Amino acid sequence: MEPEVVNSEMLLPPVLPFKRVQMSDKYPKGHARGRHWKHLKQILQAENYPSYPANEPNYLNIETPPSMYPSKKFCDITGYEAQYIDPRTNLRYANPDVFKRIRMLPDDHVQRYLALRNAAVVLK
Amino acid sequence: MMTECVCNPISSRSKMAELLFETYGVPSIAFGVDAAFSYKFNQQHGICTEDGLAVCAGVTTSHVIPFIKGEPVLEACCRTNIGGYHVTDYLRQLLSLKYPYHMSSITWEKAEELKMEHCYVALDYASELEIFQKGKKEAEEKTRSWQLPWVPPPQEEAPSEEELARKAALKEKQGQRLRDMAAAKRSIRITELENELHGLKDLLQQLDQAEETEISSILSKTGYDSRQEIESATQKITQSLRKAKGEQNETEERIDASLAEKYPLTNVPDDMLTPEQLKEKRKQMFLKTTSEGRLRAKQKRFEEESMREKQNQQEEEKRLENPELYLEQLHSRFRELTEKVEQRKRLKTNGARTNGNQNLSGGVGRGERLNAAQKERMRLLTTAAFDRGKGEDTFGARDEDWQLYKLMSKDNDDEENGQEEDEAELARVTSRLQDIDPTFVAKSDTVPLQGTPELPRFRPLTAEDFQIVIGVERFRCPEILFQPNMVGVDQAGLDEMAGVSFRRLSTVDDAVKDRISNSVLVTGGSSLFPGLVPRLEAGIRQIRPYLSPLKVVRASDPILDAWRGAATYAASLQFATQTFSMQDYYEKGEGWLRQHHIQYTL
Repeated sequence: MEPEVVNSEMLLPPVLPFKRVQMSDKYPKGHARGRHWKHLKQILQAENYPSYPANEPNYLNIETPPSMYPSKKFCDITGYEAQYIDPRTNLRYANPDVFKRIRMLPDDHVQRYLALRNAAVVLK
Repeated sequence: MMTECVCNPISSRSKMAELLFETYGVPSIAFGVDAAFSYKFNQQHGICTEDGLAVCAGVTTSHVIPFIKGEPVLEACCRTNIGGYHVTDYLRQLLSLKYPYHMSSITWEKAEELKMEHCYVALDYASELEIFQKGKKEAEEKTRSWQLPWVPPPQEEAPSEEELARKAALKEKQGQRLRDMAAAKRSIRITELENELHGLKDLLQQLDQAEETEISSILSKTGYDSRQEIESATQKITQSLRKAKGEQNETEERIDASLAEKYPLTNVPDDMLTPEQLKEKRKQMFLKTTSEGRLRAKQKRFEEESMREKQNQQEEEKRLENPELYLEQLHSRFRELTEKVEQRKRLKTNGARTNGNQNLSGGVGRGERLNAAQKERMRLLTTAAFDRGKGEDTFGARDEDWQLYKLMSKDNDDEENGQEEDEAELARVTSRLQDIDPTFVAKSDTVPLQGTPELPRFRPLTAEDFQIVIGVERFRCPEILFQPNMVGVDQAGLDEMAGVSFRRLSTVDDAVKDRISNSVLVTGGSSLFPGLVPRLEAGIRQIRPYLSPLKVVRASDPILDAWRGAATYAASLQFATQTFSMQDYYEKGEGWLRQHHIQYTL
């Protein structure tokens, strides 16, 4: 449990009547067990899906495949249909005014626009 | 009765079961899919039939689940990882990028509120975009703007006469107080200086009266090295005393006179001095030249200032004579200067800009020497270095060769200096124009290397600056439910998902498929967008064969129907047959948990 919950006796009464095992018994004071919540990716990895028959539906099976139609490209800033790409920043734009604005954007705005489209270059 | 997502991973299920059994002491549990419960509930109310399709647009995901004979067919369901959360996030990011100054006002909760109130799904995305792009009147009707709380700056009321008089009196009093303090300080300093002067004069007298041998002992006591030092110290003190008393400063002449005195050896020609005295003389010459230099610098500064004053006066006169002409001149000068500066900048950064971020280290590659200065430098290098012809390279043999590098770097410097002067003048002219001309707005054509979206600084902020306009975003954000590519998620949208689901039902007859498409239920919180149902219907109709029956309805209460369905299920009599208890869980373990699927039709 988060240490805040362990310490916050103001918000929750120490003994909740409908619980069999109280929080204070599980995590005696001072030994707040850390956050062991697994992320989705970890859960799915632990599932070991390839070992099961492939035609049974499981969490990964039922994901939708990519779209059949080619994606329409929209301007990153205004949302209109975009026919052009700025070679320097890789942002899509629809008309010259938007282009001017793109050139005036600070760098982190550019990265955020690209991140919206999941197209930002992430340096690891 | 616990609801879960479709095909919940086993570890999640078992953890939940463990939690429920051990901590909360639940006697028995059943897990079920929430969308299915919603479908059953609506089926009981006759909104959809036992063969149908549930399209659940949830918070983080969207599911499409076909039902045959009242049971969900899990093999044919599909899930896209786009939901209401992504719509809100998209809206929030778009708005904060569009209005970076109000980023703090655009919180998640506010974006959610805006989404629920104002967003809608366009029936035909392309034509809606066209309406806005062409700027037709409908676009203006559809644009909504949100006024942020803004208080106009309080108007300064013209202070009344009393206030003015009061303020003037206060200022007077303060001024008087300051003057008194300054006078007190000055008198203290004067007395101090006089005391020091007296002390030094006494010392001099002592020296005069005392004999030669005692001089050195007296001097060592006081800390002065020679009589000259004492005399110069007394002079300094008398000067500062005079200044403090406010008399005219006769420093210039005094210094001139004392210069000759201080450096007596300089006037004596070399051959008459001993080596020690020569050293002394050199020191004194050095000191003399430095002090002379300082004097000269002071004079020059004074002259420059007087010149500038004269210039300013001339300009003022010109302005007073003919204000319009003067203004025009200033404007034209401004234009010239901006052009020059821009051109310089363009030339300078031409090479660097067009090559993007790759040449940051300054290493100029092979084909990219577009700058004039760089070209010049390369020319110098190649001609000078390889001038000797074939064979030997005797570049560094002569001293003059190395002057080449000085030339190369000097070129660069000169240009920079020129540019700096121009820029300084530009700044001066801009400020003059700002002062004089109320309608002048500096054109910022120069693209700064880190341009920020600027509010024009030359007018006070109005209420409009604090409005956030939501036009295109109204239907652009929910569109990602149908086109997840807009946010980079490479999956199919809601309408295509229905098609995928039908494809996966390959073993099923067409008749059943027709029945399924005749009862499509849209549920889940994100289905509350106005216009979603018609759009979905149009989308599914594109996929289904021509003239096949199609009916798309929204659940009676998309948000709460899942709960209601689960509640009716749990309240039914046969519920107990579907649950498993703690013993089952412990005996059969996790593997069995995977097989646990409840039967939805009771």
